[in-house]
Amino acid sequence: MVSDLIDAILDRAKTSIEKIQNLQELEALRVSFLGKKSELTFWLKNLEKLSKEHRPKMGKAINQAKVNIQTLLADKKNYLELIVLEKRLLAEKIDVSLPGRHSEMGGLHPITITLNRIQSLFIKNGFEIVVGPEIEDDFHNFTALNIPKHHPARTMHDTFYIDKKTVLRTHTSPVQIRTLEKQNPPVRIITSGRVYRFDSDITHTPMFHQIEGLIVDKYANFAQLKGLLIDLLRTYFEKEVLKVRFRPSYFPFTEPSAEADIECVMCAGKGCRVCKKTGWIEVLGCGVVHPNVLSSVNIDSEVYTGLAFGIGIERLSMLRYSVNDLRLFFENDNRFLRQFR
Amino acid sequence: MNILSNWLREWVNPNVTDRILVEHLTMVGLEVDSITPIVPAFKGVVVVGHVISYDKHPYADKLNLCQVDVGEEKHLQIICGAKNIRSGLKVIVAMVGSQLLNSLEVKIVNLRGIKSFGIICSESELGMSDLSQGIVELEDNAPIGKDIRKHLNFDNYIIELNITPNRGDCFSVLGIAREVSANYNLAFNLPAFEVLAQGDCAISTSVINTKACPKYLTRSIKNIDNTVKTPKWMADKLVYSGQQLHTPVVDIINFVLLELGQPMHVFDLSKLKGNIEVRMAKYDEHIELLNGTTVKLKEDILVVADSNLVLSIAGVMGNMSSSTQNSSTNILLESAFFELVSISENARSYGLHTDSSLRFERGVDFNMTELAMDRATQLIVKICGGQASKISACIDKSALPKLKPITINQEKIKKILGLELNTKWIEQKFINLGFEISQQTNNSWTIIPPSFRFDIRIPADLIEELARLYGYDKLPVQKLSLEVNINSISEADINQYDIIQSLVNRGYQEIITYSFISEKYQNLISPDARKIRLSNPISVDMSIMRSSLIPGLLQTVESNQRRKHTDARFFEIGLCFDGIKVDEQSNKLAAIVTGNRFSAQWAANLQSLDFFDIKADLESLLVLTGSEFYFESEQHAALQKGQTAQIILNGAQVGWIGALSPMVQKQLSLPDCYLFEIDLASIKLRNIVKYKAFSSYQQSRRDIALVLDEIVPVAKLIQSVKAMQQQYFIDVILFDVYIGNGIKLGKKSVALSLTYQSLEGTLTEAQLNTKVDEVLVLMQTQYSAILR
Repeated sequence: MVSDLIDAILDRAKTSIEKIQNLQELEALRVSFLGKKSELTFWLKNLEKLSKEHRPKMGKAINQAKVNIQTLLADKKNYLELIVLEKRLLAEKIDVSLPGRHSEMGGLHPITITLNRIQSLFIKNGFEIVVGPEIEDDFHNFTALNIPKHHPARTMHDTFYIDKKTVLRTHTSPVQIRTLEKQNPPVRIITSGRVYRFDSDITHTPMFHQIEGLIVDKYANFAQLKGLLIDLLRTYFEKEVLKVRFRPSYFPFTEPSAEADIECVMCAGKGCRVCKKTGWIEVLGCGVVHPNVLSSVNIDSEVYTGLAFGIGIERLSMLRYSVNDLRLFFENDNRFLRQFR
Repeated sequence: MNILSNWLREWVNPNVTDRILVEHLTMVGLEVDSITPIVPAFKGVVVVGHVISYDKHPYADKLNLCQVDVGEEKHLQIICGAKNIRSGLKVIVAMVGSQLLNSLEVKIVNLRGIKSFGIICSESELGMSDLSQGIVELEDNAPIGKDIRKHLNFDNYIIELNITPNRGDCFSVLGIAREVSANYNLAFNLPAFEVLAQGDCAISTSVINTKACPKYLTRSIKNIDNTVKTPKWMADKLVYSGQQLHTPVVDIINFVLLELGQPMHVFDLSKLKGNIEVRMAKYDEHIELLNGTTVKLKEDILVVADSNLVLSIAGVMGNMSSSTQNSSTNILLESAFFELVSISENARSYGLHTDSSLRFERGVDFNMTELAMDRATQLIVKICGGQASKISACIDKSALPKLKPITINQEKIKKILGLELNTKWIEQKFINLGFEISQQTNNSWTIIPPSFRFDIRIPADLIEELARLYGYDKLPVQKLSLEVNINSISEADINQYDIIQSLVNRGYQEIITYSFISEKYQNLISPDARKIRLSNPISVDMSIMRSSLIPGLLQTVESNQRRKHTDARFFEIGLCFDGIKVDEQSNKLAAIVTGNRFSAQWAANLQSLDFFDIKADLESLLVLTGSEFYFESEQHAALQKGQTAQIILNGAQVGWIGALSPMVQKQLSLPDCYLFEIDLASIKLRNIVKYKAFSSYQQSRRDIALVLDEIVPVAKLIQSVKAMQQQYFIDVILFDVYIGNGIKLGKKSVALSLTYQSLEGTLTEAQLNTKVDEVLVLMQTQYSAILR
């Protein structure tokens, strides 16, 4: 019977496929069992030669055999492909513990990091960033800030001179004047940058950085200045209960004037070398802008009140990052700088 | 200024410990920098002992065996080697278990077979002084067994005050005492000093320039004995306050200075000639100062002179020849009020800073002149004897400072402090501070400040006085009351932070170097720049304001090389100075690279950084602007010829890029470095995006290889192609530059890839050929470039 013949073909196909070890042989096998010259194709072509009653049955059997062989081939193909893939995976195995191909990251100077942190706190609160020159005239650096010639406060500022009337700014406060010359109240500004004093020893460098704030408003007062600075210091040091104390001090351009101390962050106020055993560290100066300063820029101090503060960036940075030598900031030793990456 | 706590307590004695007292001083604005006991603290029991008997140590010649009564049942046996040991002497005994200076522990020791139970102390063992000869001899009536710290007042503290420039009145025991009494509501009265004064001053005085010297008092004292010893109570106070000891008369003057804050001067009367005049220096006058230097006087310097020569720079320092010695018997005392501007000019001109000039500069109470004169006279007569004359006074009342009334009201106080103070409290504090209330209503006061408070001029000064006595810490804390306002930040502004962050991401480390550099660097890097010189630099290496950031970068590379950090990328942003005007100070950004592209690693070979590494980093910043830029070969003093370009952005020259010149490299011992420097303002603005339609049809690409002269900059070719503004043009990309085999000497091959695209449809071959031919024609005519 022809159908037995078909069964025999199927059996042969099964055995042959089982034996096949690679994809090329499998393809050859496919051609020999299902190709134009295969037995199944031959029988299919000669189907019409069979009797009418056998024909449908036979046709069905041939097609069924075809489908079965196709399935067997596909399964075998999947299996062989998997083996090939596994071989490849084995060959391509890498040591994933090896470090990545890297180009080193750079980094910002800790002073910049500190400045950016503080500035961003103020920007969020509607302060505007302004800048000013570092070579200043006597008027903006001293006179307009209520430090006339011969004023004893000038000796507080060991000044670098270019000529008799030109100095390297000793503080960022001249930017207050430059701003108020151009802008009417209400004013809310932050300025920062390099300042210079003739001083060079273990705890002083001839150049350092300040950040300075100025608020001129009708209803500004000393209590608000306290509130603002306490908030600032607590946010900066990320300590909700950081102790801050204000004590009277003197700046020619503010009255009343204050300095603020924080509890020593090194010893938590117990007293150590950093805080000179006092438990407190001075971090900023501030005050209500002196009426003479406001009048030097034609602002009526009866109507407007100014609040100002100035902070030494190096000091804050040292406290925040436990840097124990100020001079490190300007030696630009990579072993120091890279730690802030 | 240093002040002794016990001295202060002689004037005002609040019922608090010294530690609390200094805490309070700090909190009212007299910042205490340190507080140190005159004798360092020690542990254990150290008491007054009485040497009952002493014998030679049987086995040691230089040691003595003492029996000492320390107020206990049994006498102590102490071995002592001091030469001044003797029976009946009152001594200081450190008992077993105590710990003295330098952690010296007192134990029972066995000295050649005999035990010793304690130490009889010398001054150095206790830290009373650095040197000491033998053991301390106490006075005969010292109570046996008494704690020595109490007996000798060791817990008398040296309080180091940081007096702010506005508080010249606090440069004295009197001044601090006044503050303390105001703070603690304690009564305070100025003492009077009785003096028996007879006859006129031995010399007549006149003041020519009364504006600079409104008040000048003199008094002669004759027949003093200046060879006596300054009494210990005074000497101790002076030494612990940081004064050196001189002759008794000078010590007394210094004592009055510390006590009352009035600088005085004393002349040897026998050395003065004719009359005394207070006047401006004359042309070509000189003075040999007490410190041994001779200075030529300028004509705007106030001096005190006799008919012969200048005796002193007023208020600053006296001359050598008229100074008093131990042998002086007749003296002239000077107590004056000089105006502060004159004195600060006097002191500043000659770089002289004396205790006297310091006080005059900060301001001296013009009502203290007479009192100080009497105090000094009283002490001199008491200690050195002598007969004092009456005071000779030159006073120009019209030139004395005016005490102007100041009016303040509750409303103003509340506006500034955010707090309403109790009316009664305010009045009490004004009175405590010595302010005279000349007028008042329910809520306003007119006060006249006392003569010692020249810092009190306006209502704000009064508010500060009230605030500090109330306690800054007790003042309320409020939130800033501000209108909400959205800051206008233009989208076109390139945030400086984005720029530096971009460099950081590309491996650059930010540095901060000094803005002043050495002249050597300035000459080397920017020889043509204007030199802005500091008139008082810290050193010659920091004397010129930089006009470029390159010197700082080079120095940083150099110092890091020395520390074996050889692969580096650094940048700095900072002001550079072309002049002293505001618009001549501009921010620059500069960067430097040196060493290898990547650090040594398994996945990459070591390759030296080159020009095109730093150029890529620079370009990444320039593209932020969205503007056209190119580089033009140029020369720069610090950069290598042939590897240097100007940066042209939007048609303007905005900076430099190049390799460090081998000459500079050699001079500064530097490795190969590549740098750029750019005006930061030039990359501050970006273009706002404007959308252009893009085509959905296929892009067509044609590659062309051109052969042309080697010297033609490739960037020019690309610029020219772009400048043609061809229809359908999308982009031109340089993908190869080749010099070598197959190309004639002096020529190079440049491969460009041209892309075209139409919005309407896919371009035909013919359309494409036309476009490419246009380019080829241009290349040939403009650059003699031939298709390869």
